[in-house]
Amino acid sequence: MTHAIAAGRLNPATWPLSVKVPLLVAVLMFAVSAVITNRVLARLQDNQEQHLQQLASAYLDGLSASLIPSVFREDVWEVFDALDRSRERYKGLNVRWTIVTNAEGKILAASDPTKFPSDTLAEETTLEHFVEGKEAILDEAKATAFLVRSLPYQGREIGKIYAEADIGLLLQERSDVFRTLSLTNLLLTVLLAIVGYLAVLRMIRPVRIMSLHLDQASQGKIELIPDSIVMRQSSEFRRLFGRYNVLSQAVNEREFLASQLAEEEKVASLGRLASGMAHEINNPLGGMFNALDALKKHGTREQVRGTSIRLLEHGLTGIRDLVRSTLASYRADPRPRDLTFADLDDLRLLVKPEAKNKKLRLEWKNEIEKAVHLPAVPVRDAVLNLLLNACTSSKEEGKVKFHARVESGILIADVSDQGNGLPAHIQEYLERDGAGSVPLDKRSGLGLWIVKRLCDEMNGKLTVVMSGASGTTIRLTVRPKTVELVHAA
Amino acid sequence: MQSRRQFLALGASCVWSFNTGDAVGAVPAAPINFGLTPVLLTNDLELLTKLKAYLSRKTGREVQLVQRRTYEEITGLLLTGQLDGAWICGYPFAQFREQLSLIAVPVWRGKPLYQSYLIAPKGRAATSIDDLRGDIHAFSDPNSNSGYLVTASLLAEKKLRPDQFFRQVIFTYGHRNVVRAVASGLAQSGSVDGYVWEVMTTIEPELTNKTEIVRVSELLGFPPVACLKSRRESEGVRLLHRALVEMAKDDEGRHVLNLLKLDGFADEPESVFDTITAKMMLIRSLGS
Repeated sequence: MTHAIAAGRLNPATWPLSVKVPLLVAVLMFAVSAVITNRVLARLQDNQEQHLQQLASAYLDGLSASLIPSVFREDVWEVFDALDRSRERYKGLNVRWTIVTNAEGKILAASDPTKFPSDTLAEETTLEHFVEGKEAILDEAKATAFLVRSLPYQGREIGKIYAEADIGLLLQERSDVFRTLSLTNLLLTVLLAIVGYLAVLRMIRPVRIMSLHLDQASQGKIELIPDSIVMRQSSEFRRLFGRYNVLSQAVNEREFLASQLAEEEKVASLGRLASGMAHEINNPLGGMFNALDALKKHGTREQVRGTSIRLLEHGLTGIRDLVRSTLASYRADPRPRDLTFADLDDLRLLVKPEAKNKKLRLEWKNEIEKAVHLPAVPVRDAVLNLLLNACTSSKEEGKVKFHARVESGILIADVSDQGNGLPAHIQEYLERDGAGSVPLDKRSGLGLWIVKRLCDEMNGKLTVVMSGASGTTIRLTVRPKTVELVHAA
Repeated sequence: MQSRRQFLALGASCVWSFNTGDAVGAVPAAPINFGLTPVLLTNDLELLTKLKAYLSRKTGREVQLVQRRTYEEITGLLLTGQLDGAWICGYPFAQFREQLSLIAVPVWRGKPLYQSYLIAPKGRAATSIDDLRGDIHAFSDPNSNSGYLVTASLLAEKKLRPDQFFRQVIFTYGHRNVVRAVASGLAQSGSVDGYVWEVMTTIEPELTNKTEIVRVSELLGFPPVACLKSRRESEGVRLLHRALVEMAKDDEGRHVLNLLKLDGFADEPESVFDTITAKMMLIRSLGS
């Protein structure tokens, strides 16, 4: 379960809009800034390389023009003097050293004579970075530019200029631009993400209001959105809220009518119950009056008197049991009491008239041995309604079965009939959590709604164990409340 | 540049006209051409400007300062009469002593004398010329006394030519350049004018501090201002002579002398340059 929730959180599709949109803005900004930074740096790099090439060419042009006569004469001083003076002139190039060699590769003079003495051969390691035919080579890893220029005189190469320039400043400039750009873009991205977050939060506020009201409605409390809030919304949400309010009013009215209908049904049920009771009382009454007549006429005879009194006692006992059961069912009980064996067993008497009408056989199995920590009245009402519904659904001369038991402290009551089975929508209605807040539909009776509502109130569960042409079995499962269990323990 | 020269010439002629009382509209006198060799700190523009201004004012004539890269060029101009006078080196004076005459000799530290220094990079720990064998050696000019002749004659005493003693010799055509070459490491040793080196210790100590003196020569005649013997009595030379020997008495002149770090100019006998002549003869005898 925990893994499923964690997986759900990781799935971006499940994230709230207030997170997704700013995140999307941030990602887009980041992508745009990355592309821009890349383009700017590429352009900067091109410009720098171009600039360096031009500067290197200017440096080599200037040097070679002044050096050729001196190199031709192999005038060491003049070569050195030219190199020494060029240092100031080409400060922008940041030349580390320059070597001028003659045709044999011997150093005529260098800008740093202590490092590269005159009249010696230039070392291979010094010249290995220079490439023939490539005037300037940039080595970013070494932060160095390697420049080389051949010195021609009358069609012959009389020497070469080798120079090493420090391009650390150029790379530093590029790195500074990169840092500035990245920082600016990061700040902009964060700023836009915050703005996006706030904007989205503001935009989806009506959705949250609607969501809150729908949540409340699902818990059975349908409240209208106040006009003051409706009027503050944009036209789309104003229209949506208006429609929701119309819908809520309609649902509230329907619920009100349903409760009225339930009251009427209750009264009708009471009527049916009263007539059933009257019928049950009327049956023994005939025998009792007969017994009274027999007593009046033949009361002196011992045998007649005994038989009449037994008949009277039997009839009165039946009437007393019926009255007791009815009292137990409909007595206004301010304090909930625990469910007992008798509470359910009494129901047989209440169902009996209905069963008798349809010549139904009641198969009764009550296995509750001791009191269960459940409210007796709603459980009885729910089971009674299930039994009455089963009687109604069963075919004549059919069978209605009742089986109640307690397993691991949980009450399980199965009611089976031999009807034509439950329609799918009723089955779905009975099994859906919280469905009892609204009546079932116009085609179905209120009995099952009452069962569902009572079940929801007790946090119970209805399950259609079996439903088909041979009949239906509905199971009511009620679990004692945990707190109460702890308390009881 | 031309307009500036014209302006200076005009200014100089005006001053001369004022001093001499010549009538306005008179034909201006020909300029005095004064040659300078790299014995001077020729890179100092202020010095050149002040010197020219002083000489122009003092002579009452426009003075053209003529500079060339080598001693040979200036000596050539002087010998061919294209210059009225020139500040040359003692060696060319010794070479052409019969054709040249002294106008004045600079006085430095109270004497018309100076020395030649053998220098090496600081820390070289060389004490004599023998320690410099196999060096790349920087000379000033093949016609310089302190910047070539002194060292060449020292080697001539050992029956050696510079190219035999040193691995390589380079000519920098300026005493300051000799110091630069040694200070930078281009040359491992150099021959330089002692006066120039000493002046540089106050003007450019960052350069001289990188060098040290290996050997100091004997006192020799200071590079003189000379002219063709045939022109010694000409108006231009006479004016130049007066301007030079009276320089120490003039405020502007003293300013120029201060820039040159000299005491003044004086009339000295030609015998001052006998030692240089002797060195020259030694080299000639060796054929170097």
